[in-house]
Amino acid sequence: MYIKNICLSLKKYRFLLNQLISRDFKVKYKRSFLGVLWSLLYPLLTMTVMALVFSNIFKFSTPGVNYLVYLLTGLVMFNYFSEASNLAMSSVVANFSLINKIYIPKYIFPISKCLFVGINFLLTLIPLYLIIFITGTPLNIYHLLLPYAFICLFVFTMGVGLILSAISVFLRDMFYIYGIIMTLWMYITPIMYDISMISQELQVYFKLNPLYHYIDFARTIILYNKIPSPFAFAVCAGTAIITLIIGVLVFKKNQDKFIYYI
Amino acid sequence: MIKINNVSMRFNLGIEKNFSLKLFFINLFKHKNKESKKEFWALKDINLEVNKGEVVGFVGCNGAGKSTLLKVVAGVMKPTKGTVERYGNICPMIELGAGFDMDLTAKENIYLNGAILGYSKDFINQKMDEIIEFSELKDFINVPVKNFSSGMVTRLAFSIATIVEPEILIVDEVLSVGDIAFKQKSEKKMKNMISKGTTVLFVSHDITQIRELCNTVVWLENGSIKMVGDPNDICDKYEEQMLRQ
Repeated sequence: MYIKNICLSLKKYRFLLNQLISRDFKVKYKRSFLGVLWSLLYPLLTMTVMALVFSNIFKFSTPGVNYLVYLLTGLVMFNYFSEASNLAMSSVVANFSLINKIYIPKYIFPISKCLFVGINFLLTLIPLYLIIFITGTPLNIYHLLLPYAFICLFVFTMGVGLILSAISVFLRDMFYIYGIIMTLWMYITPIMYDISMISQELQVYFKLNPLYHYIDFARTIILYNKIPSPFAFAVCAGTAIITLIIGVLVFKKNQDKFIYYI
Repeated sequence: MIKINNVSMRFNLGIEKNFSLKLFFINLFKHKNKESKKEFWALKDINLEVNKGEVVGFVGCNGAGKSTLLKVVAGVMKPTKGTVERYGNICPMIELGAGFDMDLTAKENIYLNGAILGYSKDFINQKMDEIIEFSELKDFINVPVKNFSSGMVTRLAFSIATIVEPEILIVDEVLSVGDIAFKQKSEKKMKNMISKGTTVLFVSHDITQIRELCNTVVWLENGSIKMVGDPNDICDKYEEQMLRQ
């Protein structure tokens, strides 16, 4: 019933969602000389910097596979999560002046941010594939399964975004706390290193991190040319859906109280 | 038609903006923080029925609950107690231009604000010329709104908000904007909507305007209805009391 209501109002507010996302694009690139080109250039250049630092200065490597592709696969996905959850967190607070005056379903703001960063994420896949080609990493048919991991990542991020956007209304300290959490999260997610570099006992805890599973899913395909195990499929979808359900419940329970904390 | 049943609205004055982690911990150790239990009833047990085509004016001093009542009717706030039933689409003109993005041009803002008000893309495309014409901003349509004067912003917002023919129009002190020419124009537009059978809820401190436009007036005081009735009757009594103070 509730799901049906969401679908109905999503249909009704699709144009608004559309407008909010295109507004973000317009505002982001307004007055910049290269405009939307930055969506491609920015990740490409930051990736180059990261690659130079980690493969040449720190001499990180992963046995058997190209380290550059290994690093970037993790980085692209983690950056999506980091940016989208951050923007989603502040989206409700940032739109208070609107929420206070006109009735709009409030979840539309976190969703629009997750979608906006999602479109940027799809653009960063272009430089990622460019590097896959340049490094001579072979392609395989399993690449068609990658959207599965991306959708799971998106659903998970949306769940986290809904939770954070609700909490941050009541607790503005969340903006700072989350910055610290994100730094920690980045280091405990095997992005720059391989999980095998960690001691066996600790690995169990590292695998509690859903992001590890989405990234590992993508790496299994891109780098190891294998189809992910049924277990990997289940874990990805399971964690994503559970997080989204928690997010929806937390948001729904609190959204009527938002107006008192303006 | 609108039915307001036993609506009460409570605000917690104590919680305010400065709720933070620090306060959270302080409250954790202080057993019951009396300060944060300070309650304020902005609306107390309001019952009101508005029929289709009726134009209802709300008078009352600052803080009487007029705007809160309109926000509850518009669905922006959920009442603490009671229910609001509304039949028909609502056009809320509570604060014009709230949905504008100052970095976007006037034209881009028409789409954005239209979407916020629930218009479809086709509808906006169809009405674009009419909106531009009414706002008299033809020469500035591709200029970012941040370069507009405040009068121009409200003119644009008014033109977007009134382009629909809503069944319920909620107006909170927005007619006193713009220059005299635009004020007359917007009043004319509102009268035109009223004559077409739109239900209007109207808050204004301009008593002359209330007398002229409304067929019922509600006098709110400290969150309760003090009097309901004929505009001239209520306005006379209201003005009398205001002058006496």
